[in-house]
Amino acid sequence: MPTVSRKTRTISAALAALIILQGFCAAFFLSDLVRDLMEYKDPRFEVLHFALEVIANLALLAGAVVEAFFLAGLLRRQARADRALSAASGALHDLMEGYFADWGLTASEADVATFTIKGFTIAEVAAMRGSAEATVKTHLNAIYRKAGVAGRAQLVSHLIEDLMRGALPGPKDTRADVAGARAQNSGTVA
Amino acid sequence: MKKIKVWDPFVRVFHWAVVAGFAMNALIDDPESKLHEWIGYAILAMVGLRLIWGLIGTRHARFADFPPSVSAAVGQMTDIATGRKRAHVGHSPLGGLMIYNLILSLLAICGTGYMMTTDTFFGIAWVEEAHEILVAWAEVSVVFHIAAAIAESRRLGINLPKSMVTGYKEMPPGAEM
Repeated sequence: MPTVSRKTRTISAALAALIILQGFCAAFFLSDLVRDLMEYKDPRFEVLHFALEVIANLALLAGAVVEAFFLAGLLRRQARADRALSAASGALHDLMEGYFADWGLTASEADVATFTIKGFTIAEVAAMRGSAEATVKTHLNAIYRKAGVAGRAQLVSHLIEDLMRGALPGPKDTRADVAGARAQNSGTVA
Repeated sequence: MKKIKVWDPFVRVFHWAVVAGFAMNALIDDPESKLHEWIGYAILAMVGLRLIWGLIGTRHARFADFPPSVSAAVGQMTDIATGRKRAHVGHSPLGGLMIYNLILSLLAICGTGYMMTTDTFFGIAWVEEAHEILVAWAEVSVVFHIAAAIAESRRLGINLPKSMVTGYKEMPPGAEM
């Protein structure tokens, strides 16, 4: 299911409506022009006026076609961006899991670490996990100790550093790299 | 190849009867004639039945099966732009919008057409103008509807016009739904 952002959706829908409106107007004028053309013998028929109408109508049609191509490009770009984003977030997730396995975090600790990296406070994590704040604090201390960091900021910067070094694969070779990362992760766990 | 029953007999008869009626009134008969009026009433009656059938009819005939949705329509446009083949069993989102457009246009055409037969609105210019512009809109819509049915048939590998005759859509093996 392609998830299209709200803004792109609005722009696309508005653009499609504009294309339809212009297409209808062009078809409407075109039938008018054909009717005019059939009366070219009439002395009131003005070639210059008719030519101008033809040009205006062609410009209208060309505009609609250009918009259609623009719309297709917009939707293609958005679809690509969505794919790249999900690949990147999938890869980031794998990266995190890899670290958690390296550090030997328990399932609960890994859960708390994920929430903490996402920016939730101790109270929020406790509420989400349905545990006491003291328990979360104990988990956090264990996480920091195992990871060898002083606190949350350092924990997050571990991941950021890897991101900056380009540990995240590009969208093209994502599948192979992620599969590789997964294999490595399972290797460390085993 | 998987055959799926999509369109019930009522939907198919409605579709082709409206095709015949609209073609007669828009292209063939004399707009001043009694025949034109009677065909107009027949179309109005059929659209009325279709509206009821849209509430109580078979699965894919119901409006609830193809609710108008901007995000679904943009999703289908994305499929078209990226060449992704995702088939819809009933009406596709864009196809559904066309159905609503055609039904509303036909109602408006019947409405303005009926007004011209009443004493109050007989000979009033704007009613006649509205009737003609609405017919032009419907004609352009029909052309676009046919073009889209052919284009979508080619894109998805499903013969959509045929399904409106037989009632069955033959889904190609690889098609996502």
